[in-house]
Amino acid sequence: MSDQRIFAAALLDPDAPCPAGLTAWNGSDPIQRFAVYRNNVIVSLINALAETFPVTQELVGEEFFRAMAGVFARAAPPKSALLAEYGQGFPAFIERFKPARGVPYLADVARLEMLRVRAFHAADADPLPPDQISQALADSERLPALRVTCHPSLGVLSSRYAVVSLWAAHQGLGDLARVEPGVPETALVARVGLEVQVVALPPGGDALVASFLRGLTFGEAAALAASAAAEFDLTANLALLLRYGVLTDLRLPAEVSP
Amino acid sequence: MNKTPTLTTLSATALALALGTALALSAAPASAADDKEKCYGVALKGKNDCAAGPGTTCAGTAKADHQGNAWKYVPKGSCEKTASPTSPTGLGQLAAFKEKKS
Repeated sequence: MSDQRIFAAALLDPDAPCPAGLTAWNGSDPIQRFAVYRNNVIVSLINALAETFPVTQELVGEEFFRAMAGVFARAAPPKSALLAEYGQGFPAFIERFKPARGVPYLADVARLEMLRVRAFHAADADPLPPDQISQALADSERLPALRVTCHPSLGVLSSRYAVVSLWAAHQGLGDLARVEPGVPETALVARVGLEVQVVALPPGGDALVASFLRGLTFGEAAALAASAAAEFDLTANLALLLRYGVLTDLRLPAEVSP
Repeated sequence: MNKTPTLTTLSATALALALGTALALSAAPASAADDKEKCYGVALKGKNDCAAGPGTTCAGTAKADHQGNAWKYVPKGSCEKTASPTSPTGLGQLAAFKEKKS
């Protein structure tokens, strides 16, 4: 191992010896100076996770969260210099983290929070102008063949748990005591203007959006969503997607990629 | 190349009806949080709303409780009824304000 690798590995392993050859500028003990540095590294990573996953932290309490985040940070240190993106593997880690088993919805709440950060930094795109929709409606024969483009910030999370209600209750919206965690919810996460919004999608909305993202036509996507969820309501789903401005284009495939 | 199986598609009429109704329903393009309002002076420290993540200067950066320039989403109509010890009016405000010394 190179000196640099030894140094980096020792930073994340509290049992590793202080790397050889270190000197302190003021002649103090390098072992102690290194321990301070090692502590700062792990604390900064835990702080980063706490900022991205505030509701996850509230659900289990600060002490539990920081301990769990520390285990994760040592096992999966950042691969990118962009700290804002750190923690993408955290939800999957939480799912496998045995002490967190008692809070089965914790991983999905963390997924929702990661989608929020992703949405915040996604590129801008203008919502579909109403007159473009009117034009499409005027030529309704072509509707089934049109392709729907979604906003880059759009994220959808289908959960077996009430992720949206749980998250909202921690924003002071709704009463946490009245949230039934075991009710499945699908979250739509998107940035509207400068603010990231989280709303529950009606049944089948996840299949509809996933089909749009896969590049299926409007007609195929609607049919697929209808077969995916018995109580699929195309109008309700489209109204919500339009209201939040997450549909950005509607045109024939030939026009999408000339 | 394999021939891709033909997918069923919804009829043009059904799509037009749904899209037309959806367009009408969403006519007032209610942008951000239409049933919420930004409320200044009621957020506790570190609890102001933002979603930029770590390494940014945004999320949860309010350094003190009830900071006058830190806002939080609250249900519409409730802001100016929420107590804010730092606010000159004693309640939350819809715009940033200069805190009074408490």
